[in-house]
Amino acid sequence: MSQQPGKIVYLRFIDLDKCIGCYTCQAVCDFLHDGRPFIKVYETEIGLRTPLSCLHCSKAPCIEVCPTGAMTRDDTGAVYVDSMKCIGCMACLYACPFGIPELDPQLRVATKCDLCKPLREQGLEPACYAMCPAEAIVYGSPQDIGEKIKKRKAEMIIRARTSGPMLE
Amino acid sequence: MRFTWMCKEPRSTVSGRSKLKISIIGAGPGGLAAAGYLACLGYSVEVYEKQPLPGGMMTFAIPKVRIKDETVLIGVEELRDKFNVVFKTNTKVFGNHEPPKDEGDHFIKNTVNLKDIVEQSDAVLITTGTWQSRRLKIPGENGPGVMSAVEYLYEIRAWEKGLLDHHPHVGDRVIVIGGGLSAVDAALEALEQGAKEVILAYRRTKKQAPAGIYEINSLIRKGVKWMELVSPVEIVRKNEKVKGIKLQKMKLGEPDESGRPRPIPIPGSEFVLEVDTVIEAIGEIATPPLVNNFLGIKLDRKNRIIVDEHYRTTNPKVWAAGDVVTGPSFIGNAVKTGLYAAKSIHIHLSNKLL
Repeated sequence: MSQQPGKIVYLRFIDLDKCIGCYTCQAVCDFLHDGRPFIKVYETEIGLRTPLSCLHCSKAPCIEVCPTGAMTRDDTGAVYVDSMKCIGCMACLYACPFGIPELDPQLRVATKCDLCKPLREQGLEPACYAMCPAEAIVYGSPQDIGEKIKKRKAEMIIRARTSGPMLE
Repeated sequence: MRFTWMCKEPRSTVSGRSKLKISIIGAGPGGLAAAGYLACLGYSVEVYEKQPLPGGMMTFAIPKVRIKDETVLIGVEELRDKFNVVFKTNTKVFGNHEPPKDEGDHFIKNTVNLKDIVEQSDAVLITTGTWQSRRLKIPGENGPGVMSAVEYLYEIRAWEKGLLDHHPHVGDRVIVIGGGLSAVDAALEALEQGAKEVILAYRRTKKQAPAGIYEINSLIRKGVKWMELVSPVEIVRKNEKVKGIKLQKMKLGEPDESGRPRPIPIPGSEFVLEVDTVIEAIGEIATPPLVNNFLGIKLDRKNRIIVDEHYRTTNPKVWAAGDVVTGPSFIGNAVKTGLYAAKSIHIHLSNKLL
């Protein structure tokens, strides 16, 4: 069992109240990974669509269970697979409450969202965050995200408490 | 939306790409996603758009509570100012023939022949979407008080931007026909505009509605009246004005080609519902900038552009992506096919440069 390494500098948060289920996140991720998106929109039985991707947990069970230390955290806090160390045992999938890690059939290693590590290394942003038309995907420091989401919820609470005509 | 999410600045011009011109017809999500990818690679990109502003359905149809103009336009400004993408707005593109009347044609100032664009470009990508609404084709449909959902939503968003001096008028009793997302959005806007009664009528049941049970139930919670298993047969008018709509009850039969149970009319079950506004939200049709076979580009029987797996049309210089290829879909579909089409153009032009 490995220790939880690294600090959480940046987080991604998906604001489901804002998400319109438009599949744009999945589209750019699919393009970036040649047809294998690591954020996917699922249509549920009630017809509501919701994106699912790695939550980059602060106490990530996948890191805890990884027997070889392949599942690890980069210096911004994103959880990723060091494919040189991975043996493809998929213990991470057993541990993940959200069923996120997948087996790459060619490389025979676990694979998952790394918050666009190659793009971030060039000073760019995760693609799903950069392209979301509803601003449902939020990316930033935990403090900034906390503030942004609380502000949005405050707006929602006030809107629910006031009737339409009072807003204008 | 950062359409140039894959680069910080345009690739240097040494490779000769800046001398290659790619024209994109339609600045919706597909066209803009492709523009971002191609601009990043250093190509010279021109985008034609019939609206005064880019964004397509994102800025001119989908309600602003879902997508804000700013979110889209920040990305557009970056394309224009940092990546030298040229936007030719208020410009409709069509081949030789007289273009058909589509939704949202209000602000067209110029019409350009597709043939000229194809001749002057190294590659052309068509992403013109689905800007024509399906009509009910029932008696009484033509005249005031009846509109399509896209027409209605379009005019609301154009009015919000100050492009129109009045918002579209709806009466006190509005019926929206359809069960998809355009129907849901139109019903929401009618409620927002202060209609006393908003009815959403669908020919199958809630379970089959493309918008999904959740969306429909949340509309009902907001005060929309839901009617299922009904289909309009006539719009009743008195002195031009809409007085009501004659609906026929339906029952569900065996699954049709869409896999959903086919709605079957029940004879003699017609009844008239008093309404003064009818909004038709029964689907949109592809609006390519050409008629079938113009420049060798082939359309299918639903007016969609036929492409191969690399998004190439039957003209070697022309690609197509988004709703104009697939029919109405999600924004993500336009973004995805727009990006793959752009990549296909890049591979084609790279081979040409070698």
